[in-house]
Amino acid sequence: MADKTVQLEIKRQASPEAPEMWEKFELAWRPGMNVISAMMEIAANPVTAEGHQTTPIAYDSNCLEEICGSCAMRINGRARMACSSLVENLEQPIRVEPLSKFPLVRDLQVDRSVLFENLKAVKAWVPVDGTYDLGSGPRVFPQQQEANYPLSNCISCTCCMEVCPQFNPATGFVGAATIAQVKLFNNHPTGKVFKEERLRALAGDGGIQECGYAQNCVEACPKQIPLTNAISDIGRDVMVQKVKDWLRG
Amino acid sequence: MATIQQPAAHTVRRGVQPLRAGEGNSYVWHKLHSLLGIIPIGAFLIEHLISNFQALGGPVAYGKTVEFLNSLPMVHVLEWVFIFIPILYHGIYGLYIWLRGKSNVVYYPWSGNWLYLTQRYTGIIAFAFIIQHVIMERFMGVSLHDHPGAAFYKMQQTLANPWMVAIYVIGMLAACWHFSYGVWLFAAKWGITPGTRSRRRFGFVCVAGGVLLAVLGLGSIWAFVGPKYANAPQNVPISYLNAPAHTGAPV
Repeated sequence: MADKTVQLEIKRQASPEAPEMWEKFELAWRPGMNVISAMMEIAANPVTAEGHQTTPIAYDSNCLEEICGSCAMRINGRARMACSSLVENLEQPIRVEPLSKFPLVRDLQVDRSVLFENLKAVKAWVPVDGTYDLGSGPRVFPQQQEANYPLSNCISCTCCMEVCPQFNPATGFVGAATIAQVKLFNNHPTGKVFKEERLRALAGDGGIQECGYAQNCVEACPKQIPLTNAISDIGRDVMVQKVKDWLRG
Repeated sequence: MATIQQPAAHTVRRGVQPLRAGEGNSYVWHKLHSLLGIIPIGAFLIEHLISNFQALGGPVAYGKTVEFLNSLPMVHVLEWVFIFIPILYHGIYGLYIWLRGKSNVVYYPWSGNWLYLTQRYTGIIAFAFIIQHVIMERFMGVSLHDHPGAAFYKMQQTLANPWMVAIYVIGMLAACWHFSYGVWLFAAKWGITPGTRSRRRFGFVCVAGGVLLAVLGLGSIWAFVGPKYANAPQNVPISYLNAPAHTGAPV
């Protein structure tokens, strides 16, 4: 019986300055295989389909269960998590490319620190640091917890930003993930101490106004976060904040 | 290794800059663009299509509508402040928005993404049509401000050319599409419909409204093109327009 194989085409680039090139690989098929496990096999035996010796592929990954957000890449043209991309569900040859909107480091590795900068710009945290024990925090009702939980699922994979037509160097749009985190922390009884600052931050250049509501973010999100609902709610909150600031100013 | 040595494009990818928290005025310009699309531009579109629908009543009814609109106080100020300047701003800023977006329906052929792209194409089609329409019908030919009774004949002459009929149908449908989806987008982005179900339901409302506007527009184009008023007078005298509705005999 002819053994079933898996064909991959992987875009490679040794450094940000190096030329791009594609390499083909052919692996023995195994049940339950995903794109990361395929690349692990390539690392164990880095030989291309043509039989040339090559280097292992550089990529980010960690948890292998769609919870750390590291392994986002473009698979068959579409941004998604490589660990949850099962080979048997993908059309072959499987074309794997790095995310296109972030500075490349090497091969499939990109620098996604813009999301971290954006989360810092909107103070996406609950401020509880201090020099003495503040005691227990305010009670969060179960209903509120249920509303917040989906937003807290964000794994910072940046898929929502990669697929967004408005997230590009011309707009410098902040992206859906950060807007959803603003909603999460504004809903938190302690986190909302920064509510006004977060909303003002989102009215800056590259802020929520750049959203074109193409809704790709919510389609692509591997965690099914209600991103378009968050953009709508925060859009209203930012507008109300701006009007208040204008009338009080 | 030979395969690596191929000369390839030198592509160092730059990243997207982070949010400029609280900086700049682009928020105000964006929101002004968004609001102007509803009021006054959208409101005017509805008024305009309803007024034009009066053409189905013939040259006298249409002339009366045009005369009424021209009798509004400070009509020239109204048209510049509430129609021409808002449309110019909305159109030019809209082009700027379009140029800064990078459509990716090739990779992500989802309905919202298609509508994002369609909103840009219908916008440019409607904008080009409106410029043509305003120059030809408002600023050229017989002045309808001075001769409201000539309105029907003027439009009929324009639409005597089948190419113009095609341009009018396409331009009018693009405007109706752009406005209906624009209302939906406005409600979504300003937080009026923050729920998935509310947006879905409001989508049906916007489709119904858009179809209704398109029917009004097509009906008025038919009034000028159809056989019923083929021998419309070049100008309906003012005295005729002011006469109470009756048999139609000259006063």
